[in-house]
Formats: sequence, C-alpha cells, structure tokens
Amino acid sequence: MADSETSADARKHKIFQELLSPSELFQARCQSHKIPVKGQKDFLPNASEHQRSRLQQSLDEHWTLLQEERVERLGNLVKAVWVSEERRVELQSPAGKFWHSMGFSDRGKQCLHAEEALYLMECGNVQVFYRDLPLSIQEGYERFLSSETLTVDQYQVYGHLKRLGYVVNRFDLSSVPSEYERQLNLPASVDRQRKPVKRKRSQSPVSSDNRSTSPLEKTTAEHQSEKQVKSNESLAGQTTPDQPQGELMESLPAPEDSSERTWWTEEHIQPPSAQSQTRAPRWDFKNLSFPDLGSWSRSACLESPDPSLLPGALEVGDCHMTPWLRRLNVKEEKLSRRQRDRQRDRDRYHRDINRDPKVRDCGNWAEYIKLMEERRRQQQKQRPAHLWEREVTPLTQPGQCTSHREVLERISIIKSSSWWEGVSRAPPADQWKISFDVYQPDTVAEFKKSHPGKPYSRICVCSFDGPVPDLRIMKQLSCQSGDVPVTFAAVDHGDISFYCFKNFRLPSDVY
Amino acid sequence: MEVKEDVDADGEDQSTGDDVIDISFCGSTPLLWKVSDIKRCRGAGVIGALVGSLARQPRQNVRLGRPLELMQEEALMLEETTSAAASLHTQDCEDEEAARQYEAALESSYTEQCTLALEDKKTVLRRIMQEKENDTDDSGNAVRDRLNALDQAFSFPRSAMAIQLCTARAGFSHCPDERSFPSTDWPMPRDERSEIRFRVYRDLRSKGYYLTSAGKFGGDFLVYPGDPLRFHAHYIALCMSMDEQLPLCDILAIARLGSNVKKTVLLCSPQKPSETGKDESIEEGVVYSSLQWSSMV
Repeated sequence: MADSETSADARKHKIFQELLSPSELFQARCQSHKIPVKGQKDFLPNASEHQRSRLQQSLDEHWTLLQEERVERLGNLVKAVWVSEERRVELQSPAGKFWHSMGFSDRGKQCLHAEEALYLMECGNVQVFYRDLPLSIQEGYERFLSSETLTVDQYQVYGHLKRLGYVVNRFDLSSVPSEYERQLNLPASVDRQRKPVKRKRSQSPVSSDNRSTSPLEKTTAEHQSEKQVKSNESLAGQTTPDQPQGELMESLPAPEDSSERTWWTEEHIQPPSAQSQTRAPRWDFKNLSFPDLGSWSRSACLESPDPSLLPGALEVGDCHMTPWLRRLNVKEEKLSRRQRDRQRDRDRYHRDINRDPKVRDCGNWAEYIKLMEERRRQQQKQRPAHLWEREVTPLTQPGQCTSHREVLERISIIKSSSWWEGVSRAPPADQWKISFDVYQPDTVAEFKKSHPGKPYSRICVCSFDGPVPDLRIMKQLSCQSGDVPVTFAAVDHGDISFYCFKNFRLPSDVY
Repeated sequence: MEVKEDVDADGEDQSTGDDVIDISFCGSTPLLWKVSDIKRCRGAGVIGALVGSLARQPRQNVRLGRPLELMQEEALMLEETTSAAASLHTQDCEDEEAARQYEAALESSYTEQCTLALEDKKTVLRRIMQEKENDTDDSGNAVRDRLNALDQAFSFPRSAMAIQLCTARAGFSHCPDERSFPSTDWPMPRDERSEIRFRVYRDLRSKGYYLTSAGKFGGDFLVYPGDPLRFHAHYIALCMSMDEQLPLCDILAIARLGSNVKKTVLLCSPQKPSETGKDESIEEGVVYSSLQWSSMV
C-alpha cells in the first residue's frame, strides 16, 4: 500500500535524522567544550519582549546542548562486545585509563559490568557492539539495565557519584569481614580471593612411621606440658607425686616431637626408655628472684645461671648490669612544682594495699579475693540501721560510686541498647539492599582494584515514592555493612539526595 | 505486547505516522530520547527532567543531558493530548544485511573524511604560503614543495576518523518498531494515588502552569507560572483525596517548609463525581487550599 510505504519511509527518515554526515563529523572535531552559565531567573511573567527574548535565548542554548552528539576519534575508542548471557561487556581492544579503577578480568578477558560499560559509553570512551552493530546509548539503557543487573534509579546514583569523581564498585557481601574477623583485628590487606599463602613449616625430625600420628602427638604434648606447668605451680616447693608424672611420661611415644614443642617448659622430657624414674621439679619458686632493674637499690650484678640448665658446654659468667642500666632510662623524673603538689595531694590519702599485713599473708589470688570479700561484708555490717533497715534504702554506699554516670546507671529504668542489639538474622526485604561501595575521589591515585580497602561509605538506593526505612531495616543494613557507614540515596526524577543516620549516644556523665 | 502494523491505518492520530512521540520504558520509567520529541513535549508544556550525561562535558553534574525522564502524569498527558506511544523493545532479529550496510557506511564516511582532511590541510598550507609571500625569504618554496607533494604524501589513518556515538536509537537494524498506543498497556502502576495525582496535574496544566516533581520540597509538584528555565516556582502542590485525614503536625511541617523556601503550599484534592446520575465522562474540578501563616494581632 502506498500509504504504509510513505509512512515507513517517513518514519525511517525520522529515525535517521540524528545521524551526522561525514562533513558534520569532521566539523565536530573543533566543537566547543564550554557550558554556558544559567542566568538569574525572574519572578513573575509579564508579557514583555525582554522576558520573551531571554526565554528564547535560554531555550536555544538548551536545545543546542541537548542536540550535540558524541563524536570521537576511532583511535580513542575502546571496542567492546555485549554478552547478554553473562550480562556483562567484554573488551576487544586494550582498556584505557579507566581500567585503573573500573572493570575486572575473567579468564584472560578484560570485562566491564553493565553499569560501568554504560557510564563509559556516556563518557565517550567505549563503543559497545552487539551482533556486529554498535549500540546507541538508548539501546544501552534498554539492554543493560534490567531487574537482574541494575534499575534505572540505581544507575542514576552510580552515574552521579562517578561524575563527581568517586570510585564506585558493586557491593559484595562476602567482602565484609565478619564480627569474629573484626575481633581478631586482621590487617586490612587480607584478600579473600587470593589463595591462602602456604606457611613454611619448620622441619620436624619425625621418623616416617610416626608421621601419621604426629599432629595428635603434638597436641597431646601441648596438653601435657600445660598440665605440667599447672601442676608445678600449685605444688610449689613440694615434690610431685611419682604416679601421675610417670603416666604422663609413658604416654609419649615420640620424644623428639614433644621436646621440640615443649622446650620452654621447665622439665626436660627425656626418652622414657632412658629414665623411668621421676624427678622433683627443678625450680624452687620461693628462691627464684626476678631482677628488678628499675629501682635504684638493685645491685648491679646478676649471678650466672645453673650450668645444668645450659645446653652443651656453654659457660656464662656473671652479668654486669651497669652498662645495661645506663641504656635504660632510669633517670628520676623531675616534676614541676605544680605536678609535685598534685602528686602530694593524691598521695595524701593513698594507702598502699601492699603494706597491709593481712594482704601480705595471702598466699595466692584466691585468698586475696576472699579477704576483700570479707572486708566488704564487714563494712556492710557497720551500716546504720535507720538507713538500711527501712523500706527505702540509700542508693549507694559512700565511696562506692565515683562518678555521676555510675549513680545514674543505678537509677536508670530504661536501659540504653546498642546499635547492634536485636539485629535479626533474616536478610532484609528485597527493596532494601546495599548496592554500591564508594571510595573517596582523593584516594583514586592509590586505589588498587585488587586491594580496594575499606570503602568510605556504602550506598542503598531508594525512591521518594517508597517508604522510609524503619529501625529494623537500618539495623540490618548497618549490620550487613560492618563498620562502614551506610548512606541512603533517595532518587526523585533525576534529583538525588543522600541521607545518613548517625549513631548517637546521650552523654551520661555530668561534669 | 504486540501491536500489529496495521494500527497505522486506523485512528486519525496515526495518519501522520511520523509524528508519534516515542516513549521508551526502562522498567516502569518513561524516557524520551530524541531531541525532536523533547522539543514537542516542551511545546505541550511537559518539562520532564534530564538524567543522562551531557555529550559536551560528560563528567560533570551541573548540567545533564539526554534521556529526559518523564513523570508518570506527564507520560499520560502526552498520550491524551499529542500522539505518543510506548515503543517496546524490538526483538533481536538476525540481520547480517544491517551489519554489512553499517560497514559500508563506515567505509564511505572514511573516504569522505580523507578527502575533507586533505582539503583542509591544503587550505592551511596555502594560507601559510600566502603569509610567507610577503616575506622575502626562501621558506615559501619549502611550503610550496610540501603542498605539491601533499597528494602523494598525505595519509589519514583510520584511527583518526571521527565516529559518532549515537544517543538515540539509530535504527541500523531493519527490525520493525513495535508500538503500544493505549496507555492502559504501558508498564506503569496505576492506583488510586496516581489517579489523584494525574487529575491534579491535568487541571493545573490546563490553567497554564508548568509542573515538575517536588520530592525535595516535601510535595508532589512544583508549580511554575512560566517556563522553569526562566521563572521560579510559586507553589508546592500536595495531592490528597478529599476525605484523607492529615494530622496537624504534618500540616505545620509542610507550612514551615513552604515558608522557609518562599513558596506557597497548595493542598489539592480532586472533587468526587457526585452519585446523582451525572455523566461519568464529566469530571468535577479540583479543590485547592493554600496554607498561609497569619499572625494573631
């Protein structure tokens, strides 16, 4: 039909009208790169010519900017291909400067995520092909952005942050160190993707038939050495009963292993075949003295150790401490007058607990604690009846609370909870998830893709039409994020606002 | 959703087939890509918001470029007043012919750019020669030799060729465009709230105001007396149904916000069509209430 033909032709004309001719392309090389500044706005429209002409001028500027197409030298463009099955873009020519902070390698190929590729297309750095035809930005939006990769809102936030200069990566839940790892305080450079470095084990002189059982032996040796240390401590100055010692000794089949691991214990574990008799513990703790090198009154000479303790035929003479003491800073502290006064005030009521004869009589920590408990109970017996025997008793005893905070804690009914309490293990609803890690622009120079380090913030994208996150969701998200703050990016038709919730504790000490 | 090609034959809108505004949907977000479409919309009073990178300077956020994101109400308005259709994703059709045509176009562009570059270089050299004619040294001869040798010695490498990265769909492939005209088939959620918003939008638009979205101001629309490029907004419009109850503290909050940004707050509610057998196609108007701080004297 003639009608449909002309309409099809007309439509094709309309489709192609945004293509530039070669001469236009050639001219575009020297197009300006400055953006005109928007002027002041008026308040009320009147029908004046002045306003109309200014409006027309603004509109013309607007259309000029919008109409411009991206024209690039073919040599500056990186060629890439969209692989729709894997939802990513594979580069076919070497990457440019953007490779420093974007993209990833997979089986030897350089690849970009969907949002990275779309952003680079908009910047005019990458030309993406699909089935041998180049994709326009519109087709990029339609193909790359879907519910499986990114929504349009998330891409808007991504583009906004990238244009400001931040480094933005996809959020990966496995990259967040768990609570346990954080407690261990592992160095930040631990990278999970790397293969665990094989630690060199020291040579253990184990005979081949014992190798299979050596790990077990090592642990049992450790246990035994621990037991020995404990038993020796509690039986200070007494001979150990022969029986348990003998049992311990005989259960050791591989003496060389254990001797290696337990060289630090006081007991030389000699091959049971050689010696079957037990020996008394070597150390007499009452006579052991640990040299106090800090105080002045110490004689500057250490005796030589017992030659039976030394390996081989080593001979060690007396140790003169004077040169060593000179290296230590044992100068007397010269306090200023004010500091001396302050010290004197502090010391006025200071009672040294070590001078208490009853404390000196205590043989170990258990006895000391018992003594303290008794004293506390006695103190309580001295409480005046008119205060303590009625229905209403004083809140604290004198001297028990030393700060306002402690007093306030005693009367608090509402206990403050920490941010981490009560976080449910269930993952938050689908619409609330962390999308990106963001790194600051001024760290771009040192940014390494393999060790990105701790991000500046993590972004969760939401919409102005949607609900505000409630406390449960905020707790879950910040728990997911570890110690990195979570920022909410609210998108409203191109306008992006960033909101961050900061944990705040009310001060409880009154000064 | 497939719309057959012969839709063009019926309906008076479709007679001028090339005047349809193509709305491209990304998820449930309507986007406009062609400058001609954007111009037509602005002529009809639909402003939208630009959300892409600007071609001239892509790495800044002050001025953005295409695509233009439309509010749901704006897309519905376009469908009512002008002829707008949602262009659905074209099928992936195997088209080797298109790839060959593209390659051919690239080649011809390259040869043409070669000649253009050669001409350009010649003009430059001739201009230099002209300047050197006025001097009395021999450097002019060297330039003339270069000019004569240019036809053989000139090389324009392929990597120096200028390529266009199209913003809107260039239509290289010959797959037929599929379009969906009725807005009920568009992938936008329609519920009571969006109906209220659309009625308010349509009413304000018919009074000649320009509207954009106002999430940052705590409202639904920002109402401008003229084109937003040149005028400040006068009102913040909040849409609610007639019988919706609004707590007093919310009213205070929005009034406070409005006075801080020097805009009047409008509470807009479409009137319900009365039950006494009125024709359903006639809709009642919209009731507006403005909030103003008054002092007790």
